[in-house]
Amino acid sequence: MSQMKRNPLVLGRKSLKDITEDIVAPVESFPSKGWLGLFLSAKTLFIFYIITLGLVVSTGMGLLGVNHPNAWGTMIITFVFWIGIGHAGTLISAILFLFRQKWRTSVARTAEAMTVFAVMTAGLFPLLHTGRPWLDFWLFPYPNQRGPLWVNFRSPLLWDVFAVSTYATVSMVFWYIGMVPDFATIRDRAKNKIRYMMYGALSLGWRGTAKNWSHYEMVYLLLAGLSTPLVLSVHTIVSFDFAVSNLPGWHTTIFPPYFVAGAIFSGFGMVVTLMTLVRIGFPEFKNYITLDHMEVMNKIIMATGLMVGYAYGSEFFVAWYSGNLYERAVFINRAFGDYGWSYWCMISCNVLIPQLFWFKKIRRSIPIMFVISIFVNIGMWFERFVITVTSLHHDFLPSSWGNYAWSPYDTAILAGSFGMFLTLFLLYLRLFPAISIAEVKPVINVGYEEGKH
Amino acid sequence: MAQKYKIGTAAIFSTEAEVLKAAAAVRSAGFQKFDAITPYPVHGMEEACGIQRSWIPYVTFVMGILGCLAGWALTWWTSAVSWPLNIGGKPFHSLPAFIPIMFELTVLFAALSSVAVLLWACGLPKINPPVIHPDLTSHKFGIFIPNDDSGYDERKVEELFRGLGASEIKKAEF
Amino acid sequence: MSEMNQHDHDHENHDHSAAPKERDSRYWLSLDQWAQDPEFQKMAEQEFQSSPLRESDGEDGWARREFLKLMGASLAMASAGCIRRPVQKIIPYNKQPEEVTFAVSNFYTSTYFDGSEALGLLVRTREGRPLKIEGNPKHPMNLGGTSVRAQAHILSLYDPERIKTPIRNLLNKTKTNRDTITAKWEEIDDAVVKQLAKGGVAILTGSVNSPTGRAVIGDFAQAFGARHVQWEPLAHEEIREGQKLSYGDDSLPFYRFDKAKVIVSVDADFLGTWLMPTTFSRQFSKARKDIANMPKLVAFDSAYSLTGANADIRVRIKPSQQIAVVMGLAHEIIVKKGQTRFAGNASVKSALDPFANVASQLALEPALFTKLADDLIQNRGKSLIVAGGLPTLTAQSQDLQVAVNFLNSALDNDGATVEGKNGLPGVGASYSALASLVNDLNKGTIKTVIIHGCNPVYALPEEFGFAEALKKAEMVLYTGDRNDETGRQAHFVIPDHHSLESWGDAEIGRGVYSIHQPTIRPMYDTRSLGLTLMTWAYMAKRGSKRLTTYETYYDFLRSVWKEEIHPKVGKGQAFEDFWENVLQEGFAGSLADSSARNFKLEALSGVKPVSSQGYELVLYPTIALGDGRLANVPWLQELPDPVTKICWDNYVCLSLATAEKMHVREGHLMEISVNGKKHKLPAHIQPGLHDDVLAVPVGYGRTAAGKVGNGIGLNTYQMVSIQKGLPIFAGAKAEISNTKMKYQLANPQGHHSMEGRQIVVEATLKEYLKDPGAGMHKHHVFSIWPAHAYNGHKWGMAIDLNSCTGCNACAVACQSENNIPVVGKKYVIQGREMHWLRVDRYYVGDPANAQTVFQPMMCQHCATAPCETVCPVAATVHSSEGLNDMVYNRCVGTRYCSNNCPYKVRRFNWFNYAKLIEKPMHLALNPDVTVRVRGVMEKCTMCVHRIKAGKSKAKLENRELQDGEFTTACAQACPTDAITFGDINNPESRVAKLFAEKRQYAVLEEFHTAPNVRYLSKIRNDDQETRPGSHGHDSKGGHS
Repeated sequence: MSQMKRNPLVLGRKSLKDITEDIVAPVESFPSKGWLGLFLSAKTLFIFYIITLGLVVSTGMGLLGVNHPNAWGTMIITFVFWIGIGHAGTLISAILFLFRQKWRTSVARTAEAMTVFAVMTAGLFPLLHTGRPWLDFWLFPYPNQRGPLWVNFRSPLLWDVFAVSTYATVSMVFWYIGMVPDFATIRDRAKNKIRYMMYGALSLGWRGTAKNWSHYEMVYLLLAGLSTPLVLSVHTIVSFDFAVSNLPGWHTTIFPPYFVAGAIFSGFGMVVTLMTLVRIGFPEFKNYITLDHMEVMNKIIMATGLMVGYAYGSEFFVAWYSGNLYERAVFINRAFGDYGWSYWCMISCNVLIPQLFWFKKIRRSIPIMFVISIFVNIGMWFERFVITVTSLHHDFLPSSWGNYAWSPYDTAILAGSFGMFLTLFLLYLRLFPAISIAEVKPVINVGYEEGKH
Repeated sequence: MAQKYKIGTAAIFSTEAEVLKAAAAVRSAGFQKFDAITPYPVHGMEEACGIQRSWIPYVTFVMGILGCLAGWALTWWTSAVSWPLNIGGKPFHSLPAFIPIMFELTVLFAALSSVAVLLWACGLPKINPPVIHPDLTSHKFGIFIPNDDSGYDERKVEELFRGLGASEIKKAEF
Repeated sequence: MSEMNQHDHDHENHDHSAAPKERDSRYWLSLDQWAQDPEFQKMAEQEFQSSPLRESDGEDGWARREFLKLMGASLAMASAGCIRRPVQKIIPYNKQPEEVTFAVSNFYTSTYFDGSEALGLLVRTREGRPLKIEGNPKHPMNLGGTSVRAQAHILSLYDPERIKTPIRNLLNKTKTNRDTITAKWEEIDDAVVKQLAKGGVAILTGSVNSPTGRAVIGDFAQAFGARHVQWEPLAHEEIREGQKLSYGDDSLPFYRFDKAKVIVSVDADFLGTWLMPTTFSRQFSKARKDIANMPKLVAFDSAYSLTGANADIRVRIKPSQQIAVVMGLAHEIIVKKGQTRFAGNASVKSALDPFANVASQLALEPALFTKLADDLIQNRGKSLIVAGGLPTLTAQSQDLQVAVNFLNSALDNDGATVEGKNGLPGVGASYSALASLVNDLNKGTIKTVIIHGCNPVYALPEEFGFAEALKKAEMVLYTGDRNDETGRQAHFVIPDHHSLESWGDAEIGRGVYSIHQPTIRPMYDTRSLGLTLMTWAYMAKRGSKRLTTYETYYDFLRSVWKEEIHPKVGKGQAFEDFWENVLQEGFAGSLADSSARNFKLEALSGVKPVSSQGYELVLYPTIALGDGRLANVPWLQELPDPVTKICWDNYVCLSLATAEKMHVREGHLMEISVNGKKHKLPAHIQPGLHDDVLAVPVGYGRTAAGKVGNGIGLNTYQMVSIQKGLPIFAGAKAEISNTKMKYQLANPQGHHSMEGRQIVVEATLKEYLKDPGAGMHKHHVFSIWPAHAYNGHKWGMAIDLNSCTGCNACAVACQSENNIPVVGKKYVIQGREMHWLRVDRYYVGDPANAQTVFQPMMCQHCATAPCETVCPVAATVHSSEGLNDMVYNRCVGTRYCSNNCPYKVRRFNWFNYAKLIEKPMHLALNPDVTVRVRGVMEKCTMCVHRIKAGKSKAKLENRELQDGEFTTACAQACPTDAITFGDINNPESRVAKLFAEKRQYAVLEEFHTAPNVRYLSKIRNDDQETRPGSHGHDSKGGHS
């Protein structure tokens, strides 16, 4: 990151005071028309989503396209999609923190928020895709009076329960702890009583004494250290849902790294999408989320894009090299069968299009990177579709082969999940400091004073 | 969490450099119970104030081990002792399948415990604690010396602070 | 007890007259309390004191009776709802005590007759309601085997659309139905008796194979000078005519496929739909169980029949070639090779000469043909040539029969494998007889028509003119279970008992009599045909003594047995003992022996070669629907056709080449014009079809069958043309064009080639003789864990693919036994069918001429089950007896198990199907099997409830469990004895022995699922050294 050392992380020679005011501005000012418009439409979509889910739960899974042999469909696909997105945040704040990447400071907060909301959105799916959602609590090993009656710890789904809930908890705590000092800042600036009380409560009465800071930094480091293996484990375990089964196309050892790479890929894709929007929505943030930041993330997108590309390739190689009849059939069908289009859609969105980032111009062009990041999101959804459906619909016995019966409800649920995510995200932008104040301040001088530090 | 706050003298500084210098000076003046207040973790403040490395990691470590064992105990007891079932012809105690659970519980225990300990160590949450100056969480820096500190003498302290270029000196509860 | 309350409860809710009275089982204390209930008293009166013409409770009468039966009243099985209802005793099949024990099934012997085949049955009843049809293992013909329709007809008993009272159709000028009102018995009876006095009476029935039925109709006909006409859509007229021409006697012969070493079938689907398929399947598979010298089946097939699918050698032909095949063989044998007693006979030679080089005409290599001829010569007296069924009903159908008879006689099969006169005595269904009836109707000499047990208005083409002629009759009476197509043209529709409600009998072969007991008290206000005729005779004071004196049909039946049957087959037993014995065993007598008959050579001279160009239409009945009488039974509509695998529709089958030529994709709507009329049908591309053949199933397109059957498919009986009063079902010239319009066919099977995977293992006989385990690749599998031990029982199942003919009886039996819901066409298309047991069909070899293999596929109960490992809540686990248990009430419905099941045999309740069961269909639900709720996974349990019942029975009797003491529903239903269930841990058990066979293998064994269901490889007796392709681990697939 030598280049990062030269270019300032924060533009416009900001003083500490400016930083506070810039970042707190959205929280203290009234929402703009643009924000209101976005929020209302997102909220409408969210409500529509709730209704759809209500119908599915009350009538039956039959409303969706799931069938035999494709017993899993949109809900699981979209679950993996959102869980994947929910990785960039922790990754940026934890792993980049461990690597002492100073540039992370201004994007970390929003990335983490995205993580939390993505995980919330994702978390709904495994719960609601069951046949009898009202009995989901049976997946938790709680002592009960039905005689000895426990769960089956050999099932990847149960690992999921533990992994996802742990991840949700820890990343939420991590996010919150990071915000505590900033809440304190807002509290101390608060003009009116409600805001004072609200942020006072959120800040837990933080006052930033040196002793507290030393503990605080230590714990932040610990959480970062813990989150790093955690974030890797979560998608590893999600990939186990597939890899541990015996279905050709699922049963592969490459899945954990492949899924993690994919997750980071899609996560950064989403971060770029959101950041470009944030920059438009809050122009003053342009000084903190600079083009350099975007460029670095685009580089990561390109790198991880190549990784998933490698994974796609090696899958095919292994299918051919293993000489496994069923494996081979599945992959030939994956690329040239009924769902070939989805496979090639995935390839072009995830592997080919990101290659444009080899050009610096494109890496630094906001509109182009926005479009590409959208493509990445689309491609990553299709990756999960390809993995889930094309493996299921052509398995062992040709007699049971069949295609997924996509229904309007599938579309509704897919679209609706974005409503939920955006609603939460937009609320976050107005209620929480979208950039970590306490973390940006120490780095304002980077790039101005040569050699120092 | 009702706790009594201390009375003492506080000084406000406007730059990071000043407060670092001041902290070091106050310490060399023999004060021990004083504390520095900054809007963000200031590099080198620990050394300046002579604060030892935080002890929280030990708690994290122990709780991590504990979580791991808890995971093992849970999986082993439920599926091999309390309710042994022939599932897919696998052994009752299929350890490899239990590792993910053990790992997740390790992380969960470690993370939550360290946060809990952090709050405890910082005496948080505090309900609406006295604030010396609202800008201390934004762009100003402060040092507070409680009156029960060894060799505390109000006049001397104020002199000391003035010497260090404090932009403002006041008696305060903290 | 809670169950009976449940019923009464339901009935309460549906009793619109009285305000629903809550009677919660929890607060229900004693029978007395019930007795206090005034409504209960009312019921009791209605039940016990016999008021004339019954209570008017049609709507929910059954529920009350249900309730009473639970009180042990069910032994009081009332007979056909006669005016005074005395009680007769029927006897449970070898079960003591005779008292109905709650929650213990009773089995009653009975008979099912589907118009052509009569099957000996055991009807399983619980608390006085029939639940399940099983084959009667002692029965001489079907030996415990059942057919799809025999299994399914139990559901027609509970069909909500049965008529519940006599009704009257108000006909307008054009004699089309204007309105329907309920009628009173007296009203009808008086009207009829008056009408009968006018004379000119005709009784039109389906084939009557019941001696008593013939007696009662005969007596009645005599009394009123009536004419009795028998007619069935699938009449076997051509065979009888052929017999008459060849041997001078027109009764049906009985065929002995178990005695034949070489069988040549020319479009005679004897394993599927022809004559007595269940009986024939039994014979055929029995003979093939001795593999070393298994019989060879050569089928010349124009539609892709089940028989063709099971043939060792299948030759695709078109109807116009049928005669050439038979005569060609005769020429090969008699003229070329100079064999048999006819060799050198000039007239024979002259008759055969035109068929000199048939092999080339049929475009099959002469070697095959001569080999077949040699086989026939070598197996003289041990071979069998059969032809018949709809696909042979060309203009020359009788010539074909004559040719076949000639060849059988020449090869000395007549009297050996063909037993003259022995098949289905008295089955006289005839189109020509019906034609003459139509004629007289038009002349006006027939004033009154009584129609029973057939549906001519539906199953006859317009040009036959029946419907129009019927309008000329002064009074039309229809007795049946619904106001169907024919019923709507009748003035009165007289509700008949369901066959499970009525007494009856059947002569299923010359000298073999089968009894037919009622198993439930008539549910509605119905009356059997016999009693109806007796009542009219009684009121008109005409007719024989027995016709007018007996109060019930039962008494009439007994008298017939006493006076006619007992002397013949009683073996000097006292009648009462004989009768008891008959009720217990279900039958009496044995087949008369028969001897070779003298073939009339002059008949042969009429047989001339047929030449034809262009497409030929072939109409054929399907396994599921047959002639379409049970079209309102959802089980049958959703049962995939064994060969095409399509359900809920009929279609036109085209060969691959034809489809290619016309750019047809599966489901394209085709327009077929045959003798001037145009019909639209979706296309099904059928491998192994002759390129000139358009094969179309009949039995669909009902308009008045009921909610389920109406408007399903097209009524293709309208494609039949009539020549000289005889129907042309096959060989009619047809034009076909592609409208390119899309139509979706419901086909639950996704793909039709094994893609070179080891799924169905096949070997030729020659391979087998070298190595019994031929054709399969045994994988080296090992486990990294110690396996769990199974002391005590370990249940397993062996399925012999060499016996399985793919008839699907097991599938329907499973559906009936396990309360498996029907989902309907829309959801079958979406891949939501619920069958626990499906019969997979794969095509093998050259697509244009594909061969077929079948494989019943259900839960394999793997010892290391992939489904169990992935269930998060342990809802599917392994039992201590090796079963893969599914715990419905623990299931949350993640469906992961289904994903991880390599056999994809798990079924998910996408919706709350149980809620959709319409009353009284819920009475058909098996109380031993949970009705699954929405959102849970379900699958084959290996009939665990039967296992439990069997075990507790043995325990009560304090003895070891015997092998074969009980078996699963599928195994019980199987007519070919292909499925064997038992305890693998018992080395003496049949299944254990089969597991030890060389032919035994597990599907996908390389994945070490270690299934407890094993398959035995299929052996093809086709003279080939090795199987061509598509086996072992090469990826030469067939057609997809």
